[in-house]
Amino acid sequence: MTTTESQVSSSEAAPIRLKMEGISKSFGGVAALREVDFELKEGEVHGLVGENGAGKSTMMKIIAGVHTGYTGRMLLDGKQVHFHSARDALDAGIGMVHQELSIIPDLSVAENVYLGKQPTKNGVVDWKAMREGAKRQLQMLGINVDPRETMGSLPIGLQQLIELARVLYSGARIIILDEPTSALSPPEVRRLFEVLRGVKASGRSIVFISHFLDDILEVSDTVTIFRNGRRVETKPVPQINKSWVIEQMIGRGHEGLEETYTGQIALDSKPQAPVVLSANGLSSGRAFTDISLQVRAGEVLGIYGFMGCGQLELARTLFGKLKPEAGGLVIDGKPVKFKNTAQARRAGIAFVPESRRSMLFYHEPVFKNVSISSLGRISRLWLKPAVERSIADKQAKALNIRPANVKALLGSLSGGNQQKVALAKWLAHPTKVLVLSEPTRGMDVGAKDDVVKIVRGLRDQGMAVVVVSAEPETVLSLADRIVVMKKGRIVQEFASETISKDRLLEAA
Amino acid sequence: MNTQTMAAGSTSARTKSFLREQMRNIAPFVTLIALVVFFAVASPSFLTMDNLGNILTNISITGIMAVGLTFVILCAEIDLSFAAIANATGIAVAYFTAQESYVNVANIPLSGGMAIVLAMIGCLILGCINALGMTKIGIPSFIMTLAMMQIAAGICALLVRGQILYAVPREVSFLGTESIGGVPWIVLVLALFLAVGHLVLTYTRFGRYVYMVGGNREAAEFSGVNVKLILGSVMVISAFCAGTSGMLGVAYFGSAQQDEFNGFLLDAISAVVVGGTSLFGGRGGIGNTIIGLCVLGVLNNGLDHVQIDSFLKILIRGLILLIALIINVYAQNLRAQQMQSTE
Repeated sequence: MTTTESQVSSSEAAPIRLKMEGISKSFGGVAALREVDFELKEGEVHGLVGENGAGKSTMMKIIAGVHTGYTGRMLLDGKQVHFHSARDALDAGIGMVHQELSIIPDLSVAENVYLGKQPTKNGVVDWKAMREGAKRQLQMLGINVDPRETMGSLPIGLQQLIELARVLYSGARIIILDEPTSALSPPEVRRLFEVLRGVKASGRSIVFISHFLDDILEVSDTVTIFRNGRRVETKPVPQINKSWVIEQMIGRGHEGLEETYTGQIALDSKPQAPVVLSANGLSSGRAFTDISLQVRAGEVLGIYGFMGCGQLELARTLFGKLKPEAGGLVIDGKPVKFKNTAQARRAGIAFVPESRRSMLFYHEPVFKNVSISSLGRISRLWLKPAVERSIADKQAKALNIRPANVKALLGSLSGGNQQKVALAKWLAHPTKVLVLSEPTRGMDVGAKDDVVKIVRGLRDQGMAVVVVSAEPETVLSLADRIVVMKKGRIVQEFASETISKDRLLEAA
Repeated sequence: MNTQTMAAGSTSARTKSFLREQMRNIAPFVTLIALVVFFAVASPSFLTMDNLGNILTNISITGIMAVGLTFVILCAEIDLSFAAIANATGIAVAYFTAQESYVNVANIPLSGGMAIVLAMIGCLILGCINALGMTKIGIPSFIMTLAMMQIAAGICALLVRGQILYAVPREVSFLGTESIGGVPWIVLVLALFLAVGHLVLTYTRFGRYVYMVGGNREAAEFSGVNVKLILGSVMVISAFCAGTSGMLGVAYFGSAQQDEFNGFLLDAISAVVVGGTSLFGGRGGIGNTIIGLCVLGVLNNGLDHVQIDSFLKILIRGLILLIALIINVYAQNLRAQQMQSTE
């Protein structure tokens, strides 16, 4: 997919519908947007790119009335406005389709399209009018679907289009789409783009946020790039290409961000080390397809891909939380099939999910959090709290967990220390393969460094580690070998070579 | 908020936070004291050794059921079938015992030991069906045990066919009706169940898993705990406790018949919840259940000692349960708030 003919249609003379001037917004002292200007013309598709945390979503949520406290001016059709809710924004003709769809799966298509605004006759819902109206609405977008069908039974791509139809039906003249293609298959993406072109032709404006640069470049007329809460560039699409966009997104180091790896990273894979875990042709529904990979002892395998590329589900499958529909796992040469996570644990697999909340017990003391995964080794029947505490003490010292008191409630620890506890529980247990999902997300630089050191230490002791992340820095700072996933498939592998962040982004 | 600001917090703030945390333990205890004081003042016959024995005997059957139910509620599940399972087990043990000639039921007389074993196997099977329905098929416990309640009631109906059975095995009637040194055996059985329940929950690996599964089921699963095995086990434990109390109950009442234990469903749930075990799982325990049982026992017994409309008693019990529920949910919210502020 590369630049195609459709962009040329946007005319320079189109009137400006929305103008944002000097928008600043901070969350608890951390600046998310600094003095950002943004313009949206009538009848254009405006692509928005930037790394996680660059501020693009914050900007769009201000426009859609989700964030209400900000400084700066917002002009809609030349008049200054300030929305106090998403309802306000919708009434003014601005609708947003969020990444998490707000459809109701148990209701019919027609009911979803008319949600909250059902046509009535004599005080009761006019089902016939609703069905016919919904059918008409959807057909205008080129969607042929029976409006009586249950929403949840349709593929995600169709659900997304129907949600788009609802936003359009509600009278929106400006539509903001947040990562609309991440869950879609290529034919579904093509269909979405056709629909967007039709919407554009009717004079409405679209903001298209995406990590998929190919998609952005294909459908957008104009692209704006955000970096570190600032707008760095806005250019019409015919003048730009993918590598230029990536360069703008990363910023070639002059921002001085410590964790930004712009230089070359030498991958130190170990092709001779014994394979500990291998996956053969794993497939799971819409999440991922035909994944084969091998993890060697003393090696960190990085799995990189954008949000929603199926990497989170893959990690859960390795740990027996999800069952694959096809394919299998082999540990130390023996095929295994996990019925539950307890079997995976016993086979020597450890997993730390991306959200600490789903890993830790906040109202229990630290030592119970550490010992939970290895209780079976500490005791058969009777608990031995003294042993538990001494094991936890040892781990707390080794991982530099603060406070050092293992009787402290976990909820009283800082986020970085909680993450270390999540790691510590698997170190008290004989682990062969450690699967980490987003191990450094949302951590400050110091805590990130600690985690990197811990993981490297484990690798050097001969543990096989799998790091799954949507942040290229995380993968680059940890991995010895990197596979890149895209829309549920492995598309590329980097081993024994030097790699940089832009090559990684380009592959995904 | 980080640990430093926590530590720097004033003593009063820490006391407040401790009280918040202990709200679910303190409130039931204060309720119990208040009730005892009230009834002691209102009626001279309330605070006597005789009456204390009465209260303990009266809560025994509820108490044995409540031990099993405590496990279930700690896992953030519910069992609505235990009273019906108790009833079915009680009827089964009588069904396998030789009855007097005037009892018009085509039963199957066996030896006392056999009758007990068969009845207990029966109740364990019902518990296993609960467990399998929940963990293998994925039926929510509320619905699964609602169905089981009906199934167990159906078993009762089929066995007794509207009649009443009187005789139970000698071992059962001994435990259900006799005393040792003035203490009824049934109270000692309750004490045994409470003690074992407490030991298992507090000092064994299984008990720890129960609390962890109830505290954060997802985290338990991601820590490699076999969550389904734990959930299934607590359902079987609940059925076992129900079966035991059903047999002793039949002996205690002197008869086995349809719908005999219906009132115990609400009583045992009340006891566990009034005691302060969290309906959201992970907090509470046998200690709470003991307090809850005492509150319920004192209330039921005390209301008999004061001049009060017996129909009003039902209403008062309902109100007490409502207040306990409010405290239960309120304590949970307090903790959730605290959790957020410390993150």
